[in-house]
Amino acid sequence: MEVNFRKIDIDQYDEDVLLESELYEPDPRDPAQVISDAKQKAATVRTSLAQGDIAGALSIVLEDAPYGPNVEEAKNLTLQTLVSILNSTKATEISGIVKSLSPDTQDTLMKYLYKGMAMPGWGDVSGSVLLGWHEKLTEAAGTGCIVRAMTDRRLV
Amino acid sequence: MSNTLRPYLAAVRSTLTAALTLEDFASQVVERHNKPEVEVAQSKEVLLNPLTISRNENERVLIEPSVNSIRLSIRIKQADEIEQQLCHKFTRFMMQRAESFVVLRRKPVKGYDISFLITNNHTDSMLKHKIVDFIIQFMEEVDKEISEMKLSLNARARVVAESYLAAFNS
Amino acid sequence: MILLESHNYIIQTTLAEKCIKPSSLDVQFVDFDGVRFRLSTPERKTSLLLSMNIRCWDELVKYGVDAVLRREYGGRVKAEPEPDYNVSLEIDLEQMPPEGEERDAYIKSIALLKRNALAAPFELAFNAQKELEAAGSGQGDLMALHYRDEEVIYVQASPDRVTVIFSTTFKEETDRIFGKVFLQEFVDARRLPTIQSAPQVLYTTREPPLEIRHLPGLTDSDDVGYVTFVLFPRHFANAAVASSTISHIQLFRDYLHYHIKCSKAYMHSRMRHRVSEFQKVLNRAKTEAATVDRKTASGRSMTSR
Repeated sequence: MEVNFRKIDIDQYDEDVLLESELYEPDPRDPAQVISDAKQKAATVRTSLAQGDIAGALSIVLEDAPYGPNVEEAKNLTLQTLVSILNSTKATEISGIVKSLSPDTQDTLMKYLYKGMAMPGWGDVSGSVLLGWHEKLTEAAGTGCIVRAMTDRRLV
Repeated sequence: MSNTLRPYLAAVRSTLTAALTLEDFASQVVERHNKPEVEVAQSKEVLLNPLTISRNENERVLIEPSVNSIRLSIRIKQADEIEQQLCHKFTRFMMQRAESFVVLRRKPVKGYDISFLITNNHTDSMLKHKIVDFIIQFMEEVDKEISEMKLSLNARARVVAESYLAAFNS
Repeated sequence: MILLESHNYIIQTTLAEKCIKPSSLDVQFVDFDGVRFRLSTPERKTSLLLSMNIRCWDELVKYGVDAVLRREYGGRVKAEPEPDYNVSLEIDLEQMPPEGEERDAYIKSIALLKRNALAAPFELAFNAQKELEAAGSGQGDLMALHYRDEEVIYVQASPDRVTVIFSTTFKEETDRIFGKVFLQEFVDARRLPTIQSAPQVLYTTREPPLEIRHLPGLTDSDDVGYVTFVLFPRHFANAAVASSTISHIQLFRDYLHYHIKCSKAYMHSRMRHRVSEFQKVLNRAKTEAATVDRKTASGRSMTSR
């Protein structure tokens, strides 16, 4: 007897089924646009870093950060840019910089910190640097910031 | 305490505190059932983003939050074969007693050495900050315990070898 | 107790007891490496029969165990051993030396039965070394002693030394790793100035040492460890030194495994302690459950079922 019908995922035919895409608003930009944005930002960040404007560089990279599916490349590029900013910051300055960021930027930064920690050893990711930033960011933005990183479906 | 251990534990503490906002939540799939959503993983709208906190490749914590339960998995540092074995023995010993450690899971999540499952029932009957304290203290002491066991093994081996060989002198 | 004793405690205490108050008995007991003993009084209360069964008896016979035992125990070795056993000694309690040191020494010598039997190949090797040294060259026979199911002692004499190789198996992963730590310490410990004169120790896992590599039937697995002791003439320069070296080296395997087991037991007790500490920490998190005595309408206490 044919038993393969048992393996059919009937939930996909359910009208009420919740789809990944319904959990959050998709990014209005198209993937190609996102990548070119990210590349452009990486360049701007380099110039800001050269001038020593770390807070500025951070806000640029964290503004309109890529999220959602199909933009893996842009996400990685953004993470890489961000990590280079984080690594080049002096430990004593972190506290002040974090406080100067807007709440939305702080939330995005928190998301990136967790993303970085989830891939130890990737690129220049260094656990101790990220942990240092995490500590200061939690001091400045509170537990709520972590909760928002946890609940926001727009994964970076 | 070393420089990187403190921010590591601080990060685990703040993340865990943030994640421990649990409420009673009946299953949406099976009527009259109430189970830890993070374990059954049947409705994705109640699962939150899993967060990883890592010190390096060999020491990391994974926190998987959901509406009524969180799962916390720890990967313990293991520098060599001896530490691996000691760690395995120790976590096994503890997990066999999971019954009395209400929040301990009997099996670790893949890729980790030990896992805890904290549900809303636990946060109802226990003080939240004390549960966090317990996890943090566990993380602190398990490293210490393993390195102490290793030292004691080496010390014993030395005494044993020396007294055996010294007996040839007489 | 760090070092193991080479005599059998049961034989020693039972004999000492029976000397004072003879009575009929029949006991069976064991020693290291699966050696079985039986102590009985088949004929009368004052005549004890001590029999021993040892795995590698056939090999021991080849290496001259009969001569060694005859030298140690003289006429007390029975010509026909008890069935199921390899060798029997007859001990007449009426002919015991008077109470005191002499009797203790006599009893001790009987308690050393296993040690004396296993000494045969070592004595043979020590003598062979002297002959080879006089001849100036050559290689003694490689004597194998299958003292346990999968574990063997090899003894070989050379003109300038006697090599003793133990093969030992570690039944489980933890034993193997702990064993490695212990054996490494044996190698390192010799660097200490106080024990410079101890025999040289080498160990390998899996890879058998050169001396025995040509032998067939060596197990090829990570669980096997080979420990080589190189005994120099100073370790058997005179009879007293030689006999203490023999008693000592025989027990190497038992000593190593005994201490591995001890370490494991210690770890276990540590873990027990640590886990109960964790338990206390977790219990601190528990809130006091409200214990209000609820009454039913008729005045009885409610109990949850």
